[in-house]
Amino acid sequence: MISRLTSLFFFTLLLPLSTSAEAKPIDFAHDVVPILQKHCVECHGGREAKGSFSLNTRALWVESGFVDTDDVAASHIIDLVTSDDPESQMPPKGKARVSDQEVAILKQWISEDLPWEAGFSFGVQSYEPPLKPRRPTIPAADGNRSHPIDRLIDQHLAEYGLPRPGLIDDATFLRRVHLDLVGLLPTPEELQKFLADQSPDKRTHKIRELLADDTAYADHWLSFFNDLLRNDYSGTGFITGGRKQVSSWLYESLLYNKPFDQMARELIAPSSDASRGFIDGIKWRGNVSAGQTVEIQFAQSLGQAFLGINLKCASCHDSFIDRWTLEESYGLAAIYSQRELEIHRCDKPIGKTAKAGWFFPELGQIDPLASREVRLQQLAGLMAHPENGRFTRTIANRFWHRLMGRGIVHPLDAMQSKPWNEDLLDFLAISLRDQNYDLKQLLELIATSESYQSQVEIIEGPQSGDYVFRGPRSRRLTAEQFLDSVWQITGSAPDKFDAPVFRTKVSAEQKTDLKLKAEWIWGDSAKGVPPANETIVVRTIIDLRAAVKRGGAVLTCDNSHVLFINRREVDKGDDWTKVRTLPLHTLLKPGKNDITAIVTNGGATPNPAGFFFDARLQLENGETVSLSSDATWEWNPNAPTTREGRLGGIKGTWKPVTIVEPNKSWTGAVNAQATALLAVAADGKSLMVRASLLKNTALMKSLGRPMREQIVSMRPTQLTTLEAIDLSNEASLARAFETGARHLIAQSDGDAKRLTRELFLFALSREPTSNETQIISDMLGEKPEPSKVEDLLWSICMLPEFFLIR
Amino acid sequence: MNYEYDPKAPEHIIRRDFLKQLSAAGAAAMMAGEPRSLSANDVGHFAHPAATADSCILLWMGGGMAAPDTFDPKRYLPFEKGLKVADMLSTFPAIPTAVSGLEICEGMEGIASVMDRATLIRSAVQPDLGSILHSRHQYHWHTGYVPPQTVAAPHIGAWMARVLGPQNPVMPAFINIGQRLEGVGESEELKAFTTAGFFGSEYGPLNLPYPEEAAKSVRPPQGMTGDRFVNRNRLYRKLIDQSPERALMSDYQQESMLRSMENAYRLLSSKERDAFDIALEPEETRQKYDTGRFGRGCLLARRLVESGARFVEVTTEYVPFLHWDTHSEGHTTMDRMHKEIDSPIKQLILDLEERGMLERTLVVIASEFSRDALIEGQPGSNAADQARDKVDELSEMKHYGLHRHFTGGTSVVMFGGGMKRGFVYGKTADERPLMAVENPVSIEDLHATIMTAMGVSPKTGYDIEGRPFYVTKDAKGEAVQELFA
Repeated sequence: MISRLTSLFFFTLLLPLSTSAEAKPIDFAHDVVPILQKHCVECHGGREAKGSFSLNTRALWVESGFVDTDDVAASHIIDLVTSDDPESQMPPKGKARVSDQEVAILKQWISEDLPWEAGFSFGVQSYEPPLKPRRPTIPAADGNRSHPIDRLIDQHLAEYGLPRPGLIDDATFLRRVHLDLVGLLPTPEELQKFLADQSPDKRTHKIRELLADDTAYADHWLSFFNDLLRNDYSGTGFITGGRKQVSSWLYESLLYNKPFDQMARELIAPSSDASRGFIDGIKWRGNVSAGQTVEIQFAQSLGQAFLGINLKCASCHDSFIDRWTLEESYGLAAIYSQRELEIHRCDKPIGKTAKAGWFFPELGQIDPLASREVRLQQLAGLMAHPENGRFTRTIANRFWHRLMGRGIVHPLDAMQSKPWNEDLLDFLAISLRDQNYDLKQLLELIATSESYQSQVEIIEGPQSGDYVFRGPRSRRLTAEQFLDSVWQITGSAPDKFDAPVFRTKVSAEQKTDLKLKAEWIWGDSAKGVPPANETIVVRTIIDLRAAVKRGGAVLTCDNSHVLFINRREVDKGDDWTKVRTLPLHTLLKPGKNDITAIVTNGGATPNPAGFFFDARLQLENGETVSLSSDATWEWNPNAPTTREGRLGGIKGTWKPVTIVEPNKSWTGAVNAQATALLAVAADGKSLMVRASLLKNTALMKSLGRPMREQIVSMRPTQLTTLEAIDLSNEASLARAFETGARHLIAQSDGDAKRLTRELFLFALSREPTSNETQIISDMLGEKPEPSKVEDLLWSICMLPEFFLIR
Repeated sequence: MNYEYDPKAPEHIIRRDFLKQLSAAGAAAMMAGEPRSLSANDVGHFAHPAATADSCILLWMGGGMAAPDTFDPKRYLPFEKGLKVADMLSTFPAIPTAVSGLEICEGMEGIASVMDRATLIRSAVQPDLGSILHSRHQYHWHTGYVPPQTVAAPHIGAWMARVLGPQNPVMPAFINIGQRLEGVGESEELKAFTTAGFFGSEYGPLNLPYPEEAAKSVRPPQGMTGDRFVNRNRLYRKLIDQSPERALMSDYQQESMLRSMENAYRLLSSKERDAFDIALEPEETRQKYDTGRFGRGCLLARRLVESGARFVEVTTEYVPFLHWDTHSEGHTTMDRMHKEIDSPIKQLILDLEERGMLERTLVVIASEFSRDALIEGQPGSNAADQARDKVDELSEMKHYGLHRHFTGGTSVVMFGGGMKRGFVYGKTADERPLMAVENPVSIEDLHATIMTAMGVSPKTGYDIEGRPFYVTKDAKGEAVQELFA
């Protein structure tokens, strides 16, 4: 305890110091808040304002007249807290006095003009989002507006006395729904067919047809999920093996329309390495702050992606934004943590250890004593729990935002805020659960409403006040939508992509005349029965005359393998009954490629062991190459060390492998799977390469594709000047327009009118007006020159009408 | 929304409802999830200081410029076989400068001749971040924050672009010269801080990796004549005017899109775009600068600042193991680096002075850390350990040089922009470890100094995702007042 004397000494010393440059400036959050909380908040904070004084915000302090920043000593508040008069002193008689040291801090705080934490308030936010799902009553239909969303929206509009927004025509609908659901423009042929269709439910049919285009759907929604899971094909962390993609798993999940609860479970408690990258986050090199360890990243990513809860604040201190505390954030982190997690407040340990636990014990709790694997499974179960309404509301809100331009809760990662229509959000969320978390069903539900199919709201300027629904908001094309659309019109998409994914489905009944060529291989021990736990290395070197355009491998190993291509780890498996697939177009290079696998036998006694690898490749020079495990492969008994996913040096001599006669259980489990999977891997179908499958480029970055080091759930809505400069002169874009001009001229046999019409139909889903035709024909003349067509193409693609979905 | 007591809320938990405090415009930005400027009302007293500089040129010595071989000479021992590494401090002798008593290293005679216009800080220090990695220290230097961060931190150039904007509205405010961001090692790490971060790309850098090709980036696409460019824009305007969707054009989003397109067109067809073309300089001037890409970058920077750019960074370029990143052949490489920077930096200062611009242009020479001859830091070590003795004797010339990273004492030079002239601040020890022993200057305080010169309070902050984010870490940076004239 500080004696009266020393504290007085401290007090007198502090004051003169506080005005000099050397004084430590006051730290509001750490120095002042605790004093106010201890002595004042009970009667003057939150809803309390005894004596009409509320200390909730800085503005209230200034207005109160209790503080005088020019003459600190004259401040009324200082009189009150230092007074000996039992009638007027604060805190009132009977309560602990404010210590001299605390008074000194308050004085310094006042003298420094009341520094405050931006946005901080002692007030308590009155809204607490409900946890459980709720089935709202759907109001009666007004006339033929029978769609539940429209019935809810009509009620909302009636409440505000607003008219229903007008409905859009078929062409506008088609363009909108194409871009929204699959990220592509409708072709002129599709447009004309749709316009000619007389059936009354053609819009619903179109929505279903688009959602049934599995590849286009996966290509498009891949970007949404890559942003949400901060997954990418290049970026910081990959080079040191500190980060892993979930691309293959993610693409496959979308291609097969995996239910969203299952996706979440597989991300939170991965059953294989394929979806592990999300929870493992980014392991940065060197020391990181306590708020950025992989464990805390886990808590932040999980909270943001699945619950729209921003834990970035609560990973350093109790959140100022919502109700989450530091300990709760660490509790979530501790579920993932393999070590004892010491709680740090703003990078300083507070002497407590985190206890695994999660936010909503009402649904069940994590057993902190269970193994990490079990804890993660428990968390996965709780997150995707049917009674976890926050989970379904968060994703439903994100999808509504994508289709309607604004969230029902907005911003999307502030799910602690009140939605503008609780019934609507709850309805979407419970519908998702009713439909077994089928995201396509959710999209269909929204897109089939007249509310979706109505005219966009025209916003005259920055908005303030409470949001009311006046129609969907127009949305600018994302970087990917813009490039895909330009590539569609100009026919200039790149012919190779970077994402390690297969874009077509495997169907069980798929007829294939593809024959497996691979044999099962092992080392010398396979001449007898290989010992348990034997680890050896097998390898081959393949010389490719050109880069790989597409193709992939199937592989498996009894019992486990780690595969390296050009000495970098690319695949891992420990369940031989599940054949693994590996896209190879990004992994192999022209020239010599080293393919090495460290393979391990399992069991307790000697038992059969074998490695199986079969690949088909199409090279850019048109050549087709098979690469299969066979007698030409070599083996070596000296398994090397690996570091940061790189293969170490291998000592000793290499000998030819032993071909292992496959046993029945191998062929039974593997052959059918492998054939079907290899058929997909080798699939020669040439689909347009989509921007979502490419590594980020300067142009895409400029157009708003995030770097994905952090989760970014909303792309920019405005077009910036730097983007406009790129759009005006970026070389790859200019080349696309150049290619496009030649295509357009050829397609229209050089007829300016036909060319104009085709271009308008494709780019804008409408016919040109006579004015537009006139302007363009004045410019193009009779025989359009490529350079002029190029400029026309550019002009059309820069129109807000092109750039916005509306 | 009102603050109300919620009986169900856990006790002692502070919540805030920040929407309550937003102005109307701020609310709109917030609704869009965009950063909102913090005012005095949010954070207490803060006012922008009076600017002593209008623009800033950062000459970035990427890769770790060894202070003992540049601006902070120590005991010099020439190469000889058997020389103990432990005895080796500087590999260049000291030379006099225009400031009496101030010496820098041989090979920088040009810079020495203008040191009377400079403030030299010899005591800049960097924190220990575990392994001393270029990428993390570069990120820290450029954003003021140690990576990783939960939000994308803006580059200091983006801060200036956001808070001050360009001097000339036609010019981009933040221009980055000389660093390739594709096809070089650690390019992903470079991209991580070469960004406007949460401010959004409007405030991001215009990247000009090749100064001699800079003109292209503000020119119409290759092969397009000026006339055709004008005609293309004319067609575009006509199509907009004639659009049957004209009624929708009052839409805020469309309007802002058209404004950006108009801005781009204005720059691409303006006279200012000539500022990007160093070929327009007289041959004689170009020769004074042309020691390589960095030298040409300095010339470009001068032209851009003359035309009203706010912040220009010119780098010798960071490529792992190249340039200042000397892990072997340090002395020989250093000799080459001296030649690369000496003449252009001298000329830049003289040119700015001749044009009467040096007073209002702050030129800063800096690097992510310094170097030493001995073993570098390991995780858990401190700066003093970075100079831990490792018994070694030189046998070959290629081992002669400062090959290890060192964060305990780094030199920063500032010219013009309201700084003192012929002034030295801080000092490092004369014997290893060459730690700052007087007036250490942290990155926070260095940034606070630069920002203060530019008229930006070090406490300037924005609210992003509910987190206050300041131009100097947690608003804690303090300008070093002694440096100002």
